[in-house]
Amino acid sequence: MDRLTYVGHRLLQLIPVMFGCTLVVFFMVHLIPGDPARTMLGPRATPENVARLHKEWGLDQPLINQYLDFLSRLIHGDLGTSLFYGIEVRQMLSERIGPTLWLMGLAAIIAVSIAVPLATLAATKKDGVRDQAIRFVPMFGLGMPPFWLGIILILVFGLNMGRLFPVGGYGDGFFGHLHSMILPAITIAVFLAPILIRSLRASLLDILQSDYITTARSKGIPEKRVIARHAVRNGVISMVTVLGLNMAYLVGGTFVVEKVFAIPGLGTMMIDGILQRDFTVVQAVTLTFAILVVLINLVTDVVHSLLDPRVRF
Amino acid sequence: MKRRLLFVLAVAAAAAVVGGCGGGSSDSGGSGGSTSAGTPQPGGDVVIARTQESLGMDNINVFDNESIWIFQQMFESLYTVSADGKSVKPWLATGYDLSDDKLTYTFHLREGVKFHNGQPMTSADVKFSIDKARDPKTGWGFIDVAIKSVEAPDPNTVVIKTKYPWAPLVADIALFNNAILPKDYAGMSQKDFYANPIGTGPFKWDHWTHGKEIKLVKNPDYWQKGKPYLDSVTWTTVPTDATRELQLKGGQAQIDEFPPFSTIDTLKQTPGITMNLFPSTRTDYLPMNFKAKPFDDVHVRRAISYAIDRQAMIDSVLFGYATPANSFMPPQVPYYDKNSPGLQFDLDKAKEEMAQSSVPNGFSFELSVGSGDDTQTQIAQILQESLKQIGIDLKIRKVDPSVQFQQQQEYDYEMTFAYWTMDIADPDELVSFAVDNKTAGSFFTDYNDPQQIEWTHQAQATFDTGQRQELYTQIQKKAAEDAFMVFLYYSPYRYATTDKVQGFQVYPTGNYHMEDVWLKQ
Repeated sequence: MDRLTYVGHRLLQLIPVMFGCTLVVFFMVHLIPGDPARTMLGPRATPENVARLHKEWGLDQPLINQYLDFLSRLIHGDLGTSLFYGIEVRQMLSERIGPTLWLMGLAAIIAVSIAVPLATLAATKKDGVRDQAIRFVPMFGLGMPPFWLGIILILVFGLNMGRLFPVGGYGDGFFGHLHSMILPAITIAVFLAPILIRSLRASLLDILQSDYITTARSKGIPEKRVIARHAVRNGVISMVTVLGLNMAYLVGGTFVVEKVFAIPGLGTMMIDGILQRDFTVVQAVTLTFAILVVLINLVTDVVHSLLDPRVRF
Repeated sequence: MKRRLLFVLAVAAAAAVVGGCGGGSSDSGGSGGSTSAGTPQPGGDVVIARTQESLGMDNINVFDNESIWIFQQMFESLYTVSADGKSVKPWLATGYDLSDDKLTYTFHLREGVKFHNGQPMTSADVKFSIDKARDPKTGWGFIDVAIKSVEAPDPNTVVIKTKYPWAPLVADIALFNNAILPKDYAGMSQKDFYANPIGTGPFKWDHWTHGKEIKLVKNPDYWQKGKPYLDSVTWTTVPTDATRELQLKGGQAQIDEFPPFSTIDTLKQTPGITMNLFPSTRTDYLPMNFKAKPFDDVHVRRAISYAIDRQAMIDSVLFGYATPANSFMPPQVPYYDKNSPGLQFDLDKAKEEMAQSSVPNGFSFELSVGSGDDTQTQIAQILQESLKQIGIDLKIRKVDPSVQFQQQQEYDYEMTFAYWTMDIADPDELVSFAVDNKTAGSFFTDYNDPQQIEWTHQAQATFDTGQRQELYTQIQKKAAEDAFMVFLYYSPYRYATTDKVQGFQVYPTGNYHMEDVWLKQ
């Protein structure tokens, strides 16, 4: 099977995955206790107002009818209207997905930029002081709660040290977004980098022991070139898999960082939707997350095959 | 016209009182507003960092304060709430006449008021707006239930007839749902109109990026000449308390909405920051479900109310920034009775009441606490200790806030948390919700006292302020004796601003007039 057919097949697999998602998410959000009408009205929830909203939102219909209605609209590309905001969820998603993609993308770039040189430095001096330090120090990043680290970064770089970065927000235009996203992306990268460092270091250590590296060295190729061209390139393959898995995990896990930095992303949209019981929003965001996870895994596999020609589909 | 003159005098007197205590200290530990110093300077942009996103600009259906406080900068009503929250003053109207049978109100419209699209405001717009607002199918339609008809006999006059004598009418007309919008939504559909709202207010719609910000810009043709001073106001959504505070300190925001009580003392000491505590109408309660035994027993309810040391609770949970509540009505509401005998901490009396109750040896019950709500959790823990002393075993039941609401409204709870903030400068809305079971189950306690309901209806139809005071005093006294809810405390609105922000004042109803705000250079 060539690569394109493989990608096509994988994309087709999205259909049953999405169908499963709709089923689980729809019934889960509808069956857990909590009523959007009462949440919205608060203490002013007169029985008439509750009934009016239920009727307006179609919540007075049997659940199965609501599900079929949701599915038929979905097939026509209509994700529905947010119960709380009264605007199309598609519009909300298009506004919110940008910040989340920015955050994840930049975090991945920063994490890789930290991990590759550090892991290489560690692997080339195994068990030395440098190796120990590189294995040990970044572990603090894994242990630090993101909301705490975020606030500290804001305090230091947003306030005290000459206000280098904005205190939260998303900014305007490409450079505005970039400027605003650096601190939150670092917050995530600090968590992500130690995982990447450990996996890349481990595979580099294996590779540096392998015969083809010995051959390369015996042919007189300079050590720097051996590491860069022969070792790291192969080591990165396993790191891409680890990165892909963690990015998929991060899709739903960026909300804490989004909240701390006041980033209008999908994570906060999802959490608010769940708290308010805004069913259409929760359904739409979950489906978007499902698609993102499948796509990230797909991209990981494709990149894997590009890096390692032995991989066949 | 005599009545109109009298009214103008009354308003002038009220304004003098308000002026005299403008931004003064509150009963709830308030330190007043950021009073204007010097001559207002035009220009500048203000960013308000707030805790939550708005839901929408639909003034007849939206219930969340984060939306209401914004659209009130664009939409205005014929009357508005005064700065002390206790009366109304003419706004888009200049006054009204009331017929002798108390059924016909003739409002005289202010001349020279224009909508943001340049169209002048006329009585046709008023009729259209109030007719839309009073439709019982809308969210706030219940406020206008007494209105029988709205007529527009000439461009500057509006006649509102009521079905029966209805004292709160002008206070109701001042509510945001009765704000004046252009007739037929200026040719737009209702949905399009609320996506691009047009009103007569000091600020015009600019844009809304969902989850990020709402921006309004100066209306240069505003009817109050010289106002607004600011070029624009932007409301951003910054849910984390610490980030809002850092944005204020870093100059990214000029107003920080609701800094936590724990940070008030520090913010007061911070150079360049003004920490404002505005007297509010927020009152916190613990409703008890009469359908769950033994809360149908008045002695049990009184015992619980007596056993709570509210001041100790305020000191430890709210850092002293609140006042124990003696009535279900807050002090910033007309007809509040400061002598209302709301049951206060008295352990001996609590024990006496328990001894007379159906459960003299104590009992066990669950208090619903919103998960993730630190204030509720801390209060619940204090209550747990307090009630132990009278033999009551309180168990904490953590539930999602949305479920907490639902369980309360379906009477699937024993005791829970609730609060109220006033919308209008008349106690009627609160009193109806609190003691008239038919409105919403008396805060879903199922408290149902025919005497209270009768007094409530009498107060609605009584125009004499002395008689109304008498009725509301009786209602508050009986509510306290029946202890259908625990009245906990009155807490202020908290806003931190940079020192440059001048003239920012939050009214007890929670709204603020951004046209009065200016920036010191």
